[in-house]
Amino acid sequence: MDHAAPSPVPLGQAEVSQALQRLHMTIFSQSVSPCGKFLAAGNNYGRIAIFSLSAALSSEAKEESKKPMVTFHAHDGPVYSMVSTDRHLLSAGDGEVKGWLWAEILKKGCKELWRRQPPYRTSLEVPEINALLLVPKENSLILAGGDCQLHTMDLETGTFTRALRGHTDYIHCLALRDRSPEVLSGGEDGAVRLWDLRIAKEVQTIEVYKHEECSRPHNGRWIGCLATDSDWMVCGGGPALTLWHLRSSTPTTVFPIRAPQKHVTFYQDLILSAGQGCCVNHWQLSGELKAQVPGSSPGLLSLSLNQQPAAPECKVLTASGNSCRVDVFTNLGYRAFSMSF
Amino acid sequence: MGAVTDDEVIRKRLLIDGDGAGDDRRINLLVKSFIKWCNSGSQEEGYSQYQRMLSTLSQCEFSMGKTLLVYDMNLREMENYEKIYKEIECSIAGAHEKIAECKKQILQAKRIRKNRQEYDALAKVIQHHPDRHETLKELEALGKELEHLSHIKESVEDKLELRRKQFHVLLSTIHELQQTLENDDKLSEVDETQESAMEADPKP
Repeated sequence: MDHAAPSPVPLGQAEVSQALQRLHMTIFSQSVSPCGKFLAAGNNYGRIAIFSLSAALSSEAKEESKKPMVTFHAHDGPVYSMVSTDRHLLSAGDGEVKGWLWAEILKKGCKELWRRQPPYRTSLEVPEINALLLVPKENSLILAGGDCQLHTMDLETGTFTRALRGHTDYIHCLALRDRSPEVLSGGEDGAVRLWDLRIAKEVQTIEVYKHEECSRPHNGRWIGCLATDSDWMVCGGGPALTLWHLRSSTPTTVFPIRAPQKHVTFYQDLILSAGQGCCVNHWQLSGELKAQVPGSSPGLLSLSLNQQPAAPECKVLTASGNSCRVDVFTNLGYRAFSMSF
Repeated sequence: MGAVTDDEVIRKRLLIDGDGAGDDRRINLLVKSFIKWCNSGSQEEGYSQYQRMLSTLSQCEFSMGKTLLVYDMNLREMENYEKIYKEIECSIAGAHEKIAECKKQILQAKRIRKNRQEYDALAKVIQHHPDRHETLKELEALGKELEHLSHIKESVEDKLELRRKQFHVLLSTIHELQQTLENDDKLSEVDETQESAMEADPKP
């Protein structure tokens, strides 16, 4: 009795290219919707995917709930950074920032509300925008990136009000100091600069690589991540991840991890950081490692904590990085599941 | 309507009692024995039959009493369960509140821990720098030494000045003496030549 060999299903070109795309995807940025129920993720192909957190976290979640509800093409280059205001999603990529309405974003064929390009010194350069920061007190947006300047854009009128110069190399990350209207920026030149928004000048400079306790010359001097808690600041990247006291500009605690960290944030009494390893690290302010939770991507680039008061049941930590997956940590201690593009 | 209730009754009876085992059979037996007793002949047989009927009757009454008691018990058990159910609901609500309370306390404790750790971090940095009192003492001691040394320097300079002045006086006195001696020499020379000139003159 002869049995026919099962005929192999030929993989079409489209499927192969799709699989390759997913393999090489990097998710650079995430942002939570104002209602707390949706998560937007932007990847290196310029597409933004909207995931429904409430569906994925509910008790009847199926495999499809972990796929995006909608993906659309947002930028021609990678989407490096995204933030949400209470009605809009702002995304930034190579050279320009676009605004989308959260209410419209779930419909097919969503178009951007507006797009803006900050005034660059020459019209030829199209520097990437690495970081976006919202300043709610003056309703403005700060952009920083490849042209080594911080641009302030007023959200109501869309005009660019200030350009803060001082960095000598491109800027990676921004952070806002709550009490005084100060912005911290960290960049490739190894310095963290504090800018006072009222006088539009640099008030303090901390050159991290010059301090012996934290500098690691074999990694370089770039500052990859920055977070601040009014009096304290934590920064890392090429130099070791360190906690600084801002008033006295002294490094107080050096966190003992060798891999450069790409994203750091304060949460309750912990500091969460993620970077070149596949784990999210939980640190206490004294420098002890409280937990190291492995994620599913080989390297992590972005962490997002959904603390929107409107959806307390969706209070999760999501992490994304060098893969097409977004890990969801429901109680910070372990990875509950992953959503993927 | 009568048919419906009959069906229900039949279903219930079948469910509870089968067909003929137990109380139902006893009642049927009672009826039959009553008829037999009416038709019985002798006195003794009738009496024994009568006794038998009485016992069957009491058995029936007993089983009915039992069923009534069981029914009462069931009712009371139901009440008891209702009460326990309400209590458990109350304690669940109480536990929810306690959980919320504890969560707030956890947040508070975390804030306190964070403050303590910040304090510790700063304290560590401060400890690296030496104590202020010691530094002040060292400063005082150094100041005193400085004063002392400057005093010594002043006195040494004064001495030097004095010596210099004395030496100067000495040197100038020596010079004057030299001058005077030279002058004296010159004068005595001039005198001698004058004398020799005068001696040569008076001899004609």
